[in-house]
Amino acid sequence: MDISPPLKPAALHILRALADGDSHGYAIMVAVREQSGGEIPLQTGSFYRHLSRLIADGLVDEAARRRNGDDDPRRGTYYRLTPRGRQRLATERRRLAGLVAALGTASSRKNV
Amino acid sequence: MPLMNAERVYAWLLRAYPERFRARFEESMRDTFVRDWAGTRTGGPLRCARFWIDTAGQAVWFGLAERRETPRAHPLGVFMRSLFAVDWRDAVRSLRATPVVTAIAVLSLALGVGANTALFSILNSLILKSLPVREPERLVMIDKGSWTNPIWEQIKERRQQIWLDAFAWSGNRFDLSTQGQTDIVPGAWVSGNMFDVLGVRAAAGRLFTIADDARSGGPSGPVAVVSHGFAERRFNGASQALGKRLMVDRLAVTVVGVTPRDFFGLDVGRSADVMLPINVHALQQNGVRDLDQRSMWWLEVMGRLKPDQTIEQAEAVLRGVQPQIREATLPQDWSAKDQAEYLKEAFALVPATTGQSNLRDTYSTPLKTIMVVVSAVLLIACANIANLLLARASARRRELSLRLALGASRFRLARQLLAESLILGAGGAALGLVVAGWIGSVLVRQLATPTNAVMLDLSIDWRVLGFTAAVAMATSFIFGLAPALGVSRVAPHEAIKAEGRGVIGDRRFGLRNVLVVGQLALSLALVVGAALFARTLSALVSSPLGFDADRLLIATVDAPDAIGEKDRGAFYGRVRDAAAALPGVEHATVSMLTPIGGMRWNTNIDPSADVPEPPKKIHPWVNSVEPGWFKTFGPSILQGRDFDARDRAGAPRVTIVSQAFVKTFFGGANPVGKRLKTGVEGPKVEMLEIIGVASDTVYRSLRAGFEPTMYIPMAQQDEGSSSTVLTVRAASGPPEALTRGLGQAIISVDPAATFTIRPFSTQLRSAVRQERLVAMLGGLFGGLALLLAAIGLYGVTSYSVTRRRGEIGIRMALGANPVGVVRLIMARVSGLMIAGIVVGGAIAWWASKYVATLLFGLGPRDPITFVMAVAVLAVAGALAGWLPARRAARIDPVRVLRES
Repeated sequence: MDISPPLKPAALHILRALADGDSHGYAIMVAVREQSGGEIPLQTGSFYRHLSRLIADGLVDEAARRRNGDDDPRRGTYYRLTPRGRQRLATERRRLAGLVAALGTASSRKNV
Repeated sequence: MPLMNAERVYAWLLRAYPERFRARFEESMRDTFVRDWAGTRTGGPLRCARFWIDTAGQAVWFGLAERRETPRAHPLGVFMRSLFAVDWRDAVRSLRATPVVTAIAVLSLALGVGANTALFSILNSLILKSLPVREPERLVMIDKGSWTNPIWEQIKERRQQIWLDAFAWSGNRFDLSTQGQTDIVPGAWVSGNMFDVLGVRAAAGRLFTIADDARSGGPSGPVAVVSHGFAERRFNGASQALGKRLMVDRLAVTVVGVTPRDFFGLDVGRSADVMLPINVHALQQNGVRDLDQRSMWWLEVMGRLKPDQTIEQAEAVLRGVQPQIREATLPQDWSAKDQAEYLKEAFALVPATTGQSNLRDTYSTPLKTIMVVVSAVLLIACANIANLLLARASARRRELSLRLALGASRFRLARQLLAESLILGAGGAALGLVVAGWIGSVLVRQLATPTNAVMLDLSIDWRVLGFTAAVAMATSFIFGLAPALGVSRVAPHEAIKAEGRGVIGDRRFGLRNVLVVGQLALSLALVVGAALFARTLSALVSSPLGFDADRLLIATVDAPDAIGEKDRGAFYGRVRDAAAALPGVEHATVSMLTPIGGMRWNTNIDPSADVPEPPKKIHPWVNSVEPGWFKTFGPSILQGRDFDARDRAGAPRVTIVSQAFVKTFFGGANPVGKRLKTGVEGPKVEMLEIIGVASDTVYRSLRAGFEPTMYIPMAQQDEGSSSTVLTVRAASGPPEALTRGLGQAIISVDPAATFTIRPFSTQLRSAVRQERLVAMLGGLFGGLALLLAAIGLYGVTSYSVTRRRGEIGIRMALGANPVGVVRLIMARVSGLMIAGIVVGGAIAWWASKYVATLLFGLGPRDPITFVMAVAVLAVAGALAGWLPARRAARIDPVRVLRES
């Protein structure tokens, strides 16, 4: 059982975005903004702070290859989800689903 | 902000991050940032502003946070971190605990920083800023004024031999009206290649080409380029201006292009709104003559140095071709002596990176003076805040010593106090930027005159921001240092001591006295300056004009093109008669120029039988007037006669000279009947007979006073001028009431005539605008300095009264009377005052010599002014000291004894 504290929403969104495949800094940031419907207004500074934490915790790693070959106009690194990261994402998903279910029951009971 | 620059700024911000973090993420972060910014910048200024605030805040905040988490840091990093490891929230909380002190500090800082920033931004745009063109540092200008078009044409042929390229231009005022009230806009004649050489690209349409600069008007006919601001004002936008027709000095031209928003021409302080190619002037009346005229000096010539070419090398090449240029453009009608001088005079080059500016020449010294004044005011304000913070620090002694007792280091406490000062400084600076924008625009309005709009780009650039930030940092340290140093004298055991005991002999009180003496000294110097400027203005305003300026209304009238040169005299005569017939008009006259009107005309007096040896270098001023001029303006004819109907074209040439002229050229002897040989009438010199002597009038400026002046009858001028000034004197009351009637009278003579009417008093006011501005600002800031110093003195005295309450109570209990107590306190105040006056007097004595050129009618060390200033300071100081002294005298000894 994973005993680490729950992930912050922004970090969770980053993992979620990377679950679709290796990606590039700006693309991940934009994906997070869209996934969260603008709820998480990541900017370059805050985004890389979260990313560096995730790398330090071993959930994300730098991807070795560049997807578009050498003519890729984008500079900088691609990132990928580590197996631990994938596992952690699943754990969080279960935890949150449980939480939502519990909240749902609580509110329906109240409505009775 | 262009993308490249934005990335550079961001890269710089990233330095907040530790080395390790940057090695890993910098490249990615820069890429992410650039893409994000590209998506944001089109989203409007508000979004951009928020983006940058967030970006900068996050970079600094997270960068420092990462640093704190980095395990093994660089020793310098440890030190830096210790500086930033301040509890900012604690500092804010402590400032909020004393809201009044904080508000006063921030507000006085905002005023001080704002005034400094405003002055600096004006100086910046006037003196420091480079022209917004490609590689302005490679621009050079031919020195010493303007050049004739024939000279420019010679240089044009050789321009690429001398430099990479060269161009010419001439600032001008164009009239866009076709009839009735004139519609004057600032503009310029420019050579066809000017924009190419400068590297300025059109904001819309196209700019000039060499082909446009032709006497026949170029392939698209006569064309014009207008400024961005003008296009927006007249045509509601740059693209709408294209293809529009303009009447420029009665020549129809087509607008083909608009200059970029930040390009105002080459004359800093003026916006060139309408620009025409130089040779298009040929299509206007007298244009061909002006273009070929070898003694009409109107063009400025600038060159762009070749890569690696120095200004000396370019000058050497220019001087190499100088003989040919001079030979080919020699004015044929000049005397042999003048021609020899013309051939000899060498061209010189000066750097032109910041363009050229009349405004700069007029206002550099006054603005620098005011800059010094406002920085002194800021220093005085800083001393006040330091005093305030010192008082606050002594009130917080218990808190500070408790912290010490609990184990805080002194360094940490000092840092905490400095942090508070920095917050105050930053707050003051932020508010100061707002104040600066406001003060700046008011000041620029003051520089303008009714006929000369001033356009200065006061946008906040990195220089201004840097200046403000530096001032804010410096001031925070100046006023924050004293309280921070005071921490070293707080003892941990003080916290346990009872309050009010053992406080005699506080050494910091000495520091506060020094601050007050400094304030008094600086404010005395500023009051001396303010008094010097105020007395200069009053001396100028009350200096004699030699005529009665009240009730005069002047109208600049341009004859319609349909009236030929020969008939202009008659036309102006009809205009004058129509004006004279108006009810309420006492006199009316027409002349070429008006006194202190900004236009000048001078001539040389050549040796002749009656004036064998005219003093060299004195060129008398000339005005050409109609009979009635002396009656209208008011100078009296002292000897001989006034002009009258006899002095027609063809009659013997006559002149009336002023008293100063008689004194200079005839040693005061009666000159009536003597004959002069002058340059007034060109080569076919006919001697001018002096028929009268008029009382002196001012010609050029109030400062210049009465200068040798000669008047010639308009009817005897060879060339009828296309523009003259009609002056009327109202029989009574304000002359403005005649404006409407005068306009109608001019139109009734010829509806195609154009004119501008204004009262003479506005001309008089703008003649002293520089002095008025300096006196106004000097007085304002001198008064502010005095107020701040008085507050400082009051604060220190009041503080000392509070602290000596026990002592004074005991003295009174022992029999001291209230008068004695007041004397006790005032003795101390006088000590401070005398020290301040001695130091301040010395500063003023030394500094006043730098403003000597701004003064009029009194010397920089005028004793009366010094005595006046000392008296003012003494009164203010006595009042500031007396209020707390009176409070001391009312101390109730019984209560004081009971309390202790």
